[in-house]
Amino acid sequence: MYCNQPPKKPGDKKEVLQKITNMARANSLWVTAYGTGCGSIELRPLGTSRFDMERFGIAMRPTPRQADVLIISGYLATKTLKRVIRVYEQIQDPKYIMALGSCTINGGMYFDSYNTLNVLDKYLPVDVYVMGCMPRPEAIIDGFSLLMKKIKEGRAVGWKHYRENLDYYRENQKQIIKNWDLPDYNW
Amino acid sequence: MIDKVKKELEIRFPLLKLVREQHNYLHIKVDKAAAADAVLTAKTSLGFTTLQLISAVDRIENGAFQLTWILENYDEQEILLISAYFPRKNCVVPSLSQIWPAASAFERELFEMFGISFPGNPREGEDFLLEGWKDMPPMRRDFETEEYARRTFGERQPREHTDPRQYIGDVVGEWNTPMGRNREEEK
Repeated sequence: MYCNQPPKKPGDKKEVLQKITNMARANSLWVTAYGTGCGSIELRPLGTSRFDMERFGIAMRPTPRQADVLIISGYLATKTLKRVIRVYEQIQDPKYIMALGSCTINGGMYFDSYNTLNVLDKYLPVDVYVMGCMPRPEAIIDGFSLLMKKIKEGRAVGWKHYRENLDYYRENQKQIIKNWDLPDYNW
Repeated sequence: MIDKVKKELEIRFPLLKLVREQHNYLHIKVDKAAAADAVLTAKTSLGFTTLQLISAVDRIENGAFQLTWILENYDEQEILLISAYFPRKNCVVPSLSQIWPAASAFERELFEMFGISFPGNPREGEDFLLEGWKDMPPMRRDFETEEYARRTFGERQPREHTDPRQYIGDVVGEWNTPMGRNREEEK
């Protein structure tokens, strides 16, 4: 056996460091234990022995301050959106959002409800959508592997987008949250 | 046993109408002026001490709200439903929150969802589920839910193409696998 290609030269020092960091981040995704809809039921078998997401380095954390990933599991009411924004803004950078189910994509079966929002990425930056109603644990694992791939390639930059376009997101959020009393930030 | 309850109620409220009767279940309809009196009688002298639910139905064709107090006698395993029609315009219903503290939550919900006022409830008008709602109460049947949802939450623009390669291709990268390439070459 022999190599048919010359060894690649390592790139810029910063780039290499970034790659290593991304790999470390992708292999230790910690999830906020926060369920918004019916999809959080599918996260329980995912966490326990049958599907066992700990083998991918994914763990549930009780507080957003220790977590990287926020899972929007299913339909999102405007009342819940306010709490979700609060939780999302407490997560340390870098942070990723995974949205489950057709409700977060286009409203799903609640498209004509008076209290559930239809298009989630108007209010929060979503990195990965997992389709299904509800997605099975296998589909969620597939979504996680896609998220890992995006992080390794440095394409999961929803949190940067949120910071840079805060005005856009705030405007949309204030349109549907009638009693706005969240604090204003100036990063 | 439910016959006894029925006879007792018929003596006190001669105008009541029987809606449905089973061996442990009785549904009666009384005049709106006698409604609170009937519920109180059921509690104090007939043993229906548990309030399970206060429900409202919007009978828009009759111009009325049908309110139903669902009471339970736990010792005898009996259920009593007392209904009354209240006019739909500026609907005012006597509050029972002084007798059952649990009634307060039901009454707040009905105030929010139907606009039914319960004077005497100390927490009336407090936010329950819809925080800061300014529109028409959403459970009224003349509330245009679909139009409201479209106006408030918007909808995702549908795709122009049905071929997944048009929109998914470079995002996931799965279509550039050898199998996908071969298929394209065949064409």
